Amino acid sequence: MATAEVEVHAPKTLAEANYDITRPISKPNKRFFMILGVAMAGVGLMFGAWFYQIGKGIGVAGITHPVFWGVYITTFVFWVGIAHSGTLISAILYLFRSGWRTTINRTAEAMTIFAVMTAGLFPLIHLGRVWYFYYLMPYPSQRQIWPDFRSPLVMDVFAVSTYLTISALFWYTGLIPDFAVLRDRAKGLPYKIYGALSLGWQGTVNEWRHYRRIYLYMAGIATPLVLSVHSVVSWDFALSIVPGWHSTIFAPYFVAGAIFSGVAMVITLMIPLRWAFGLEAYITKNHFENMAKLILLTSTIVGFSYATEFFLAYYSADPIELESFRWRALGAYALPFWVMVFCNVVVPQALWLRKIRRSLPALFALTIFVNIGMWYERFVIIVTSLAHEYEPGSWGLYTPSWVELSILVGSFCWFFFWFLLFSRSLPTISIAEVKEHLAHEQGGHHE
Amino acid sequence: MSSAMSSGVLGQYDTLHGTVDAIEKLRAAGHTDLEVFSPIPSPEIEEAMDIHSSPVGLWALIGGITGCLTGLLLTSGTSLGYPLVTQGKPIVSFPPFIIFMFELTVLLTGIFGLVALLVHTKRPVIKLDPSYRASFSVDRWGVFVAADDGSRAEAEQLVRETGALDIEVQS
Repeated sequence: MATAEVEVHAPKTLAEANYDITRPISKPNKRFFMILGVAMAGVGLMFGAWFYQIGKGIGVAGITHPVFWGVYITTFVFWVGIAHSGTLISAILYLFRSGWRTTINRTAEAMTIFAVMTAGLFPLIHLGRVWYFYYLMPYPSQRQIWPDFRSPLVMDVFAVSTYLTISALFWYTGLIPDFAVLRDRAKGLPYKIYGALSLGWQGTVNEWRHYRRIYLYMAGIATPLVLSVHSVVSWDFALSIVPGWHSTIFAPYFVAGAIFSGVAMVITLMIPLRWAFGLEAYITKNHFENMAKLILLTSTIVGFSYATEFFLAYYSADPIELESFRWRALGAYALPFWVMVFCNVVVPQALWLRKIRRSLPALFALTIFVNIGMWYERFVIIVTSLAHEYEPGSWGLYTPSWVELSILVGSFCWFFFWFLLFSRSLPTISIAEVKEHLAHEQGGHHE
Repeated sequence: MSSAMSSGVLGQYDTLHGTVDAIEKLRAAGHTDLEVFSPIPSPEIEEAMDIHSSPVGLWALIGGITGCLTGLLLTSGTSLGYPLVTQGKPIVSFPPFIIFMFELTVLLTGIFGLVALLVHTKRPVIKLDPSYRASFSVDRWGVFVAADDGSRAEAEQLVRETGALDIEVQS
């Protein structure tokens, strides 16, 4: 019996690839607007809850002594982590000349940008008095107060905003030739919009020669950047003296976790996207299998890091550190901890089986587990450490309020809202790169 | 070169291989004033056109150095301007400042690189080149040979010999 992949009609010509990839960019149907409406309702919920918090004060959130970082910072770290796979797939795999990235990089990059846009809201929400956000920016004010450049929180502002800017530039640079494709098939207002976005691109040899180089350099600078951003986020914790946070393994541990969750989210989004837009010929099971292997690798790193944290606590013989980790696994937040272990370490072990790696329903379900597990990981690290510090007199529990949970749910809708708009207005696969591969496969390579 | 102000012959090809062959033949016949349109990035075409480098790397390097120095000046300058000792560390503490220097290095490398792309490709433009055809963003390659009244017929003959699918003469 023929497999689904064999039945798929692969593109034969450049024109066919052009048509297939640009076909979904058309007038959206009713179903699209319904899904968009649900996402917008969630966005409304998020902003409604946020405005309520601004009006009433930060007290309506559950964060209070001793847990001053709760769902907001958990969700911030979660979304920054999600943002990691885009640049990883685009930049690092580009430098390694991994051809399989070609059909997934555009969507992964878009996901990166929308995830950073989502993450960026949370420090503002967490501030409470959001109108003072500019205190973090270095500028000569009459207050004569400058940000402390020795603080990891200020490093975070620079790291995340640089990451957002570079990811957006990298994404846009990759889109320029594809905007020209869209311009050339459009009329009226879309012609003008895509024409402006394409900057008048014509694919001349001069344009391509500069373009190829700058794309390579951007991939080169984005590679250390992707590793640095989550390292800097991890230092928000590791540079403190809170037991459970003060650890040198945090940077690699966070980076591996970020790639783990990011790739999982790419799969979660790609499976329905591929089905909805009929892109089976471009995004094949081989792509999913490769991403599944990346999940398996990073899952083992994350699992090893969990174990290392416990070992370090034991080996340090520090009673505070020991108690912190004992309480993490067996205390009031044991359930989130074991959910985290189950989702991030146990469930991904199924990926050792090739059958699972190539089964899209199984992969979709598995990546949902990973997404849940990685949110819980951040929750466990942040909340259990703050709730159970040095002095028993300062111990306390934290329960998220409805405001925090509404903003959490709304953040997913905000992310999906942007993703839905992207999927209908821009090519979800890089047309130029697919055609480049196709042209060379068809013997276009000049000897 | 830009053919916006030129007259000449435009040939269209449907393979990369055919385009590269055509460029080599045209250049061998002394027609070096060519404009080539391609739907894909192609080192092969650059090689045939004898193009080997791009100055955008230099721009990116200058951007990177500027970013690194900006990071150093911003962190050290502001710390010296408001000298508040925290955690017993020196006012100018390089280990944490390196992070800012790194972030600004990356940021300005990317920005300078994109600006370089715009400067060297002379983009954005509103009006497209008269030789440009919409098929060049789909599946066709175009080679425009600049030729004046005297040499246009010879150029047309040469383009025909290279196996062009479509030939247009622009005067």
